[in-house]
Amino acid sequence: MPKDLTVSCAPHIGRGISTRRIMADVIIGLVPAMAAAWYYFRIRAPILIITCIAASVATECFCNLLRKKPNSIWDFSAVVTGIILALSLPPDLPVWAVVIGSCFSIAVGKMVFGGLGANIFNPAMVGRAFLTASFGVLMTTWTVPVTIPDVKMSRIAPENIVDARTQATPLAWSKLAVKNRYGAQIYGRQQFIAAVTGEVGGCLGETCVIAILVGGVYLLVRGTISFHIPAAVILSAFVFAAICCLSNSYRYVQPLFHLTSGGLLLGAFFIATDPVTSPLTVKGKWLYGAGIGTLTMLIRVFGEYPEGVMYAVLLMNSVTPLIDRLFKPVPMGGKPGIR
Amino acid sequence: MRVDTKARLTFPGGTHPPESKDLTRNREIQVGPAVKEVAIMLSQHTGAACSPLVGQGDAVKAGQKIGDSDAHISAPVHSPVDGKVKEIGLRPHAILGRSPAIVIEASDPNSVRHPSFELRADFNEGSYSPESALWRVRDAGIVGMGGGGFPTSVKLRADSKTPREVLIVNGCECEPYITCDYRIMLEWASRITVGIALARRVSGCSRVFLGIEDNKPEAINAMNAAVKATAGAEGIEVAPVRTKYPQGGERQLIKAILNKKVPSGGIPPMIGVVVLNVATVAAIAEAVVCGRPLTHRVVTVTGEAVAKPGNYYVPIGTSIEDLIGFCGGAAENTAKIIVGGPMMGIAIADLKTPITKTTGAITVLTEEQVVRKLERQQTPCIHCGRCLEVCPEQLVPTKIAHAVKNNLFDVAERYHIRACMECGCCSYVCPANIELAGYIKTGKIFLARQEKRMPA
Repeated sequence: MPKDLTVSCAPHIGRGISTRRIMADVIIGLVPAMAAAWYYFRIRAPILIITCIAASVATECFCNLLRKKPNSIWDFSAVVTGIILALSLPPDLPVWAVVIGSCFSIAVGKMVFGGLGANIFNPAMVGRAFLTASFGVLMTTWTVPVTIPDVKMSRIAPENIVDARTQATPLAWSKLAVKNRYGAQIYGRQQFIAAVTGEVGGCLGETCVIAILVGGVYLLVRGTISFHIPAAVILSAFVFAAICCLSNSYRYVQPLFHLTSGGLLLGAFFIATDPVTSPLTVKGKWLYGAGIGTLTMLIRVFGEYPEGVMYAVLLMNSVTPLIDRLFKPVPMGGKPGIR
Repeated sequence: MRVDTKARLTFPGGTHPPESKDLTRNREIQVGPAVKEVAIMLSQHTGAACSPLVGQGDAVKAGQKIGDSDAHISAPVHSPVDGKVKEIGLRPHAILGRSPAIVIEASDPNSVRHPSFELRADFNEGSYSPESALWRVRDAGIVGMGGGGFPTSVKLRADSKTPREVLIVNGCECEPYITCDYRIMLEWASRITVGIALARRVSGCSRVFLGIEDNKPEAINAMNAAVKATAGAEGIEVAPVRTKYPQGGERQLIKAILNKKVPSGGIPPMIGVVVLNVATVAAIAEAVVCGRPLTHRVVTVTGEAVAKPGNYYVPIGTSIEDLIGFCGGAAENTAKIIVGGPMMGIAIADLKTPITKTTGAITVLTEEQVVRKLERQQTPCIHCGRCLEVCPEQLVPTKIAHAVKNNLFDVAERYHIRACMECGCCSYVCPANIELAGYIKTGKIFLARQEKRMPA
C-alpha cells in the first residue's frame, strides 16, 4: 500500500490550459502584424517592439520587488502589453518616449492596481494615452512605409503633402474630408487595396489588415478569444459608418474604409479582447464591443481626433464592471425564492 | 411534455474531461473480496442517522436489520454477512471525518455472495400494492445509490401536495473512470426494467424516461431490448443524451430530457419529477420481488495506479484497504485514492474508510496525473469567463470564490452560492489554476456551520 497519499479538494484533474498559454497564443497571433510592421517600417519595428517589451518586463520586475511579491513576469502579460503598445505607436517615436510610455503602462496601468487581473484599464492603452497627452506632436507625426515610391494618399488631396516622408495618414485625410464636407467620395479600389496590404501611413502594427486578420483568426480557432467582441466592434463600426456615408457620401467615407484604417481591427481582435478589462458574460461582451465600435466612430467622425480606438477602449473599460452587474446571469433554477 | 427522444438532448454549460472508461468498461461484474470484517456506518443517507438495534457481542445473520430510526427521512441498515458484532465505534468517513459504525466480524471469512435475481415468468407489477412495495423499499434500506443517499421510500411516496408525473431513471454516469452503472445496465437489464416498473407503480408517474449518455451505445441497446422483453415495462422511453459532464446531475438531466428547470433551492418533486439512479432501481427490484435488503453494491475500482481495475460486487462496509488489496494493490507512485470519480470525488488518507451505500467507485491516481494540477501555482484571475461558460447552474464561479476568499459572504449569497452543485467544472477549466470549486465548497460549509446545519 502506498505510504504518502495526497489529500486535496476536488476536482483532481485539470485541463492543463494556463494563463501563460493564453498570453503565448496572443503573442503568436501578433506575429503576422509584427512581421508586416518590419516589412513596411524596416528597422523602426524591432527597435520599438524590443524596447517596449524590455521596458515593460523590467518595470514589472521592479514593481514586484517593491511590492515584495513573487516575480510575475513569467505569465507573459507584460510581453503582450509591450507588443500591443509598440504596435500602436507611430514608427518614428523616439526611443526615450517609448521607454517612458512602456514604464507608465505597466506601473500605472497595471501594477498600481494590484497586478494582473486587478487593473481596470487596458495597460497598453493607458500608456498610449499618457504619451498622447504628454508628447502630442511626436505622437501625431506619421511616417509613410518605406515601400511606397511615391505617396499614394496624397494623390487624392495634394495639399496634404508636408514632406516627402512624413505625411498624413488615411484617417487624417478622412477627417479633412469631414471638415471640408468634400473629398470622401474619391475613396476607391486602389486606396482600399493599399489599406488592406498596409502601404499606408499609420501606427506601427495597424496598417496591414491581412496580417491582423490572420492573427485574429488564429486566436479564434485556438479558442483564446471568443468571436463576440471582435464581431460587435466591427459590426457596430460598420453600421455607424454606413449610416453616415448613406446620409452624405461626399462628407463621410465608405464603411469599408473605416474598417480597414486605423487601429480598429487591431483593437477589435487584440486590444478589446483583453480578458481582464472586458466583461465576463456573452451579452456583456456584445454590449462592450458595440460600445467600442460606436465610440470609435463617434470620435473619428464628430470628434477632434482622427483616431478613436484608444479612447473608446478606455471609456468602455471604465464601464465594464457596470456591464457585468447589468448582465449578472440568472441561475438555472431562477432566482432563489425557496429556502 | 412533448420530448423528442431521438434528438441530441443536452443542458447549457458543462465540459468534457477525458472519459478514461476503457480501463473498466469491458470488465464484467465480478464478486468482490471475502471480508473478515465489515463496518456498517449508521449514517449512510441524508436524514436522521440510525440507532443501533444490536449490541456488542450479538450474533447477526446476513440480511438482518442492525440499525433503524423512527424519523420520517431515514433508512435502516443491514448486515451483509453472518457474524458477531465486534464493536460499535467510530470509523473514518470521507465527509464527516469520523462517524459511528457497527463493526461486524464475519463468522466465515471466505464466503462471498453472488449477485442473483429470480424473476417469475408471470411477473406483474400490479400484484404489488404501492403501500406494500413502499414498505419493502423502506425496510430494505434503499437510498439513492448514485451518491445523493436520499431515502428512496420517502422520494417515491406519492404526495398530494407535489404530485409526480414523470419518473426519470439516471443511467448517465458522466464522471470519468466510473463504469458501475454501465455494467449493471448491460448485465442486470431485466432487474432494472422490473425496478422501473415497480417505481412507476409506487410513485404514480405516468411517463418514464431512462437517460443514458450517448458514449454508451451498448447500454442503450441493452436497455431498449430489456424494455421490450420485460412484461410490465411498456412505455419506458430510453432517452440518449449528449455526453457531457455533468449530464448525470439530476437538474441537468431534467433540463436535457424535459427542458424544465428545477427551482433554485428546490427539489424535482416540486415540478412533478422523480429521478432515480439505475443502481437504486435495481435494488428496488431485488427488495420488492426477492425480499432482499441492500447489503451489497457494485463498485468500480479503477485508475492507472491499481493493478487489477474492474467492477466488483462488494459487501457494504468493506474497507477500502481490503478492496484495493483484492484488486492487486495500488502502485508505488500512487498520489491519490479517491472515493468517487476524479471530478467530484473526495480524496482520502485513511484506508480503513468503509464502502457505504453511496460509494460507486474508488479511483486511484498516479503522481503524474495529479501533479499538473497540484504543483502549479494559483495565479490571479484574469476574468476570462471560462468558468461562466462551463457552469451547469449558470453561476459566476469566480465572483463567488473570490467573495469567499475575502470573507464577503453577503456578496457570495448575492451571486447565489447556494445554487452551486459542486461539480468542479469551473476549477477544471480555470487557466489560472484557481481552486474555484474548493473555495465555493468552503464557503458553503461556513454558511452551513453559521446556520447550525452542520457541526462546527
